[in-house]
Amino acid sequence: MSEEKIIEIKNLEYIYMQHTPLEHQALSGINMEVNRGECIAIIGHTGSGKSTLIQHLNGLMQPQKGKIIVDGEDLSDSNVDLKALRRKVGLVFQNPESQIFEHLIGDEVAYGPFKLGLPLNEVRKRVKWAMEMVGLSFNEMKDRPTYALSGGQKRKVALAGVLALKPEILVLDEPTAGLDPYSKNELLEKIKKLNREEKITVIFISHNLEEVSFLAHRLYVLANGKNLVDGTPNDLFSNKEILEKYKIGTPDSVDILYKLKDAGFSINPRLFDVSCVAAQIFSILSTYQRRVTDDISV
Amino acid sequence: MTSRFELTRNITIGQYIPTGSVIHQFEASLKLLSFAILVVGIAICSSYTGNLILLAFSIALFGIARIPIHYGISGIKPALPFMIILSLMQLLFYGQAAQGETTLFQFGFILITTSSVQLVIVSAMRFIEIILVSSVLTLSTSTTEMTHGLEHLLKPLKYIKFPVYEFSLIITIAIRFVPTFAMEMEKLMKAQASRGAEFGTGKWWQIVRKTKDTFPLIIPLFSSAMERAEDLILAMESRCYTPGLKRTSYRQYKIALRDFLLLIITTLFSIFIVFYKFTY
Repeated sequence: MSEEKIIEIKNLEYIYMQHTPLEHQALSGINMEVNRGECIAIIGHTGSGKSTLIQHLNGLMQPQKGKIIVDGEDLSDSNVDLKALRRKVGLVFQNPESQIFEHLIGDEVAYGPFKLGLPLNEVRKRVKWAMEMVGLSFNEMKDRPTYALSGGQKRKVALAGVLALKPEILVLDEPTAGLDPYSKNELLEKIKKLNREEKITVIFISHNLEEVSFLAHRLYVLANGKNLVDGTPNDLFSNKEILEKYKIGTPDSVDILYKLKDAGFSINPRLFDVSCVAAQIFSILSTYQRRVTDDISV
Repeated sequence: MTSRFELTRNITIGQYIPTGSVIHQFEASLKLLSFAILVVGIAICSSYTGNLILLAFSIALFGIARIPIHYGISGIKPALPFMIILSLMQLLFYGQAAQGETTLFQFGFILITTSSVQLVIVSAMRFIEIILVSSVLTLSTSTTEMTHGLEHLLKPLKYIKFPVYEFSLIITIAIRFVPTFAMEMEKLMKAQASRGAEFGTGKWWQIVRKTKDTFPLIIPLFSSAMERAEDLILAMESRCYTPGLKRTSYRQYKIALRDFLLLIITTLFSIFIVFYKFTY
């Protein structure tokens, strides 16, 4: 991974409904740096400013205070080319399936590329690529009606619609919220592939810490419009003080490890991947096997 | 700089500013009735002096309700183009209808007399007064109170089998969902803009293009409205909603002496404004 910074955010602040009695400070000093090719998770409780933050990244909101630099371009500049920016930064909203409006899947995915004014064969190429990327077969699915799809498939179509713009940075707001476990895992695999193989920089919001540890290189914890702490999932999840101090919660696997540790077993909390946890439990079990079998026979 | 997608900022329907003033405390049905009488007074009064008094009165209402006046002004702004066109039409074409007055200007069919000038100025003032007064009404009355008031006023219609409760429920639901749909629309605009859509960039003669530009918004908005309606039906039925049954309400609205006083004073004021012979 190159260390080139693709996004730099400095002291970003934002107030909703400014100068009305309903005004509300959503962001109060965000600092963030994202390197090219990284996969960044943003976690935080409802109302911590996550969604407001990511809407700044493609210019849907302009910074009221502070600075955002995306790929060398300062977004507080009022004559920044928004179209070019939105092509570069693909933003997928929460429940993106609600934005589907075309009758056929292919047309839906092609909306973005057509809006860019690309020639037909290029549009076709992009639609094919985007659909295959999210695991929808182009030949089979492009002429299917959108309304007959399942929730998970609709979400894939919506994701493909953004991917067809060929963004360098993909920003996702709770990509797996409300999906069944199978579609969830499938979608996570696709996002991982986009990041690791296609080298697209990914920033995603999530409440699910398993998801974060599966995907992210680094994560930022937001609360009350500020970023409190950041680091790799390994550093944060294995540090119980940080977990408790910032009320992050723990992934189930980490939870199990800490419970074992409290019970007096020797474990390594840094190895919280599900398979590692299984291996650790297995080794504990084999050490104490005699005692366990004794217990069972009693 | 604010975002151009902040739609909810511009929604004034259902906006309520709780300052707890006297005007807020009046019972909604009599407040509505007083409002209607006042509007009739405004609509009939055609003298300069009367309208000046009404204008001052409407502005004073903001003070009494302790609501910042800029809420009223922001209500006038969107009506301005309409007002200007109306004034122009009246100025150009009304002179013929009121002949025999002092002629100020004549060119071809255009005839401007003192009475047509008065009409233009007075109707502009009326417009502003009505907007201000209705702003005070809506800003000082929550939607729940408002629909309750309406229900109260419509109650006599029950005797001719008019479904009063259902009617007020329909209005409550309609008003309740305006901000919801505005938020939905805001989200859709942002989502489609993220996919390269542009809104409001087509020229006015590109009607087909402008219409097409709205599809990515209208279609999802419509389908989500349908889904919401279905959900709402289920939610209401699971809480035992049955049309036609008598329903009681959680909040009791009692009419007090001061509510009647409001009605009487407004009526007297309107009668005075309409019938008193002002010199100008």
